[in-house]
Amino acid sequence: MKKRIVTTALALCLLLPFVLSTAGCASDTALVLRVYNWEDYISEPTENEDGTVEDDYVDLIAEFEKAYYAETGTRVRVEYSTFGTNENMYNELQINPGSYDLVCPSDYMIMKMISEDMVEKFSDDFLTNSNYAKYASPYIQNLFEANYATVNGEEHSWADYSVPYMWGTMGYVYNPALSDTIEDDLSSWAGLWSEAYASVATIKDSVRDSYFLGVAVAYRDELMRLKEEYNADEMTLSDEKYAEYNAKVTEIMNRTDEDTLERTKDALLELKENLYGFEVDSGKQDMIAGRISINFAWSGDAVYTMDDAEPYTDEETGKEVPGIYLNYIVPEECSNIWFDGWVMPKGANTELAEAFINFLSDPTNAVANMNYIGYTSSIAGDAVFEEMVDWYSEGEAGDTDEEGNPLVPYDLNYFFNGTSDGAHADGDFIIYVSAESAKRQISAQYPTEEVLVRSAIMQHFDDETNAAVNEMWEEVKGLPIPVWAYVVIAVIAAGIAVIALSYVYKGKRRDSKPKKGYHAVK
Amino acid sequence: MVKFHFSRKQLCIPYALFLILFVIIPMLLILFYAFTETVDGMIRFSFANFVNFFTSTAKLSTLLMSFTVAIISTAICLLIAYPLAYILARSKFKRKNVLLMLFILPMWINFVLRITALRELLDLIGLLGTQNYLNTIIGMVYDFLPFMILPLYTTLEKLDNSYLEAAADLGGNKFTVFTKVTFPLSMPGVISGITMVFMPSMTNYVVSDTLSNFNITILGKLIDQYFTTYDNWHMGSMISIILLVIIFITMLVTGGFKDGKQEARGANLW
Repeated sequence: MKKRIVTTALALCLLLPFVLSTAGCASDTALVLRVYNWEDYISEPTENEDGTVEDDYVDLIAEFEKAYYAETGTRVRVEYSTFGTNENMYNELQINPGSYDLVCPSDYMIMKMISEDMVEKFSDDFLTNSNYAKYASPYIQNLFEANYATVNGEEHSWADYSVPYMWGTMGYVYNPALSDTIEDDLSSWAGLWSEAYASVATIKDSVRDSYFLGVAVAYRDELMRLKEEYNADEMTLSDEKYAEYNAKVTEIMNRTDEDTLERTKDALLELKENLYGFEVDSGKQDMIAGRISINFAWSGDAVYTMDDAEPYTDEETGKEVPGIYLNYIVPEECSNIWFDGWVMPKGANTELAEAFINFLSDPTNAVANMNYIGYTSSIAGDAVFEEMVDWYSEGEAGDTDEEGNPLVPYDLNYFFNGTSDGAHADGDFIIYVSAESAKRQISAQYPTEEVLVRSAIMQHFDDETNAAVNEMWEEVKGLPIPVWAYVVIAVIAAGIAVIALSYVYKGKRRDSKPKKGYHAVK
Repeated sequence: MVKFHFSRKQLCIPYALFLILFVIIPMLLILFYAFTETVDGMIRFSFANFVNFFTSTAKLSTLLMSFTVAIISTAICLLIAYPLAYILARSKFKRKNVLLMLFILPMWINFVLRITALRELLDLIGLLGTQNYLNTIIGMVYDFLPFMILPLYTTLEKLDNSYLEAAADLGGNKFTVFTKVTFPLSMPGVISGITMVFMPSMTNYVVSDTLSNFNITILGKLIDQYFTTYDNWHMGSMISIILLVIIFITMLVTGGFKDGKQEARGANLW
């Protein structure tokens, strides 16, 4: 009996922490918003090792909790967690449905989730009357409205289910000092295949991005013909032919038939021989360190790389720190335009989720995010434009740069028109920069209209296509096998055969002639 | 009051639990995943993964590549480690444990750090980005050499000197003594070393990824890809099973060289 009492007491002791923690929760009646986002994808202050917080970046999550309380009188607590890949996020949602209110997948995953009926629609009120509706760039909003996913047999616009957060293109970051013709050479994706750039370039060790590169080169002729046919060099986003041209480019870039797979594989295998290697995240550091000179990169990473590689003056010591100026280029055939966007999984607290996006869509908060993440927000508005002027502008129209050459206008009207609160008129969203600077950070941050006209969205592939594309990628990664590898295998096989035979032979001999000299030692 | 007897058998309970939870159940899960596939959200029994592996150029060439890398790394490890272990074990040097420790020391430094440092070093020499196969093999050898030295050293150290004296007395010259006595007697150590180096060299993709700039794919990397990016646990499990079978066969083959008596001598540490 005594023993049982002791056991019970022990069991109760074990339960105690749980009881206490539940009690703790019960007194906290705040609403909870569960956000699931990419790592490092929202502005937050740097945390020191001793637990204190720097005031270098805005704590947007805490700010939202404050703002929500001030506005509604209700406390809200944000449970923020992060993921590393779209696939991880998708699996997590499959295993624990209903565990998040707001997630931030990439374009193709958004498409997959919409078509699998996994996400809630945004309310009409949010889509017509929120910071997002007011300040998001009209270009991005139109793009989301023009893309469709099939839900239960019906076509639905992405715009009903998803709100873009960050966006960008893909291109080459390169060191212009490498050769005199590098800018010309890399104006085609095929430039990387040139022997002149052997062992100086890396591409992504990711099937989706590298597949895109392979397809662009495999269909280079067709893309260039199309470009000429539509005179796409001078096309703007308001051109009536834009949608038609862009749809054709998108179709080519999303081909996955057997012939395309074969051509892409051949192209990538050829490229592999010419590369320094593949990379997951080391491309930025390798560029900055000068280990490589060309990197196939996302525009956001490109901005980071160019920023970090630049020479600068140390503010404390006043010394010049040497560096290199890198450029960014989107080749002429086409590019990939990518998004990460918010979606609300089924069963989410949509009201709270919309309030959170509304908060992030305030241009001041978008600036905070851009400062921290370095990627380009889908939000325009005065605050964002002024920040960009602060970052990039080198003067007014008619001014000259240090060498006396006139500054060139960098036209951002397509992005900012219609989002100003009155400080800027439509058509005035132009930043004047030197001709060199126009090839650097700003071109990665905000691609020109001419680039966007030929930028295609990579779509979601079904399981069967995915398997075929992955198989193609495995072959690219696993081949070719060098001749000496076959030789080694042959020698080993022969060696094993000889040893096996000698054992058989020895066994026989031992039977007939037992015991001889030092054999006995064994 | 019931007296609580604490017998030796009960001491095994934690280990048994550990074994069931972290060895047996996961193995069964891997088996389950390997021989099933998911079609429209339903899991069903299938040999598709097995067939796919042996009909896919990509997977077979990856297998071949892993094999080659592992065999060469193991051979080089053996060539470096044997003389070293032999000299260390037979020398009269009093502080040979200190020397041995120097060779084992790298094992105590974090593995990823060592490989990253090696990458910088290879870059300095100029091998990085040009000699992908060589770099990978250098990395594997660097990483697994201690695993070859240790078992060889322990076997050779325990070698009874009277055998060698007897062999010499019976007229064997140094070479004969080595080939007919020392080497056969150190076989258990050689085999331990080979198994310790061969198996991880087939799967340790951190080395191949870091030092070949992702140019060389080995089986471990393929498994990782199936679990993390391709989101196909079935194929990933199947490759794991195939790898397991290969290693099992290797052990059977090398185990065939073993001699019952030598094992009893306790040389087979691993």
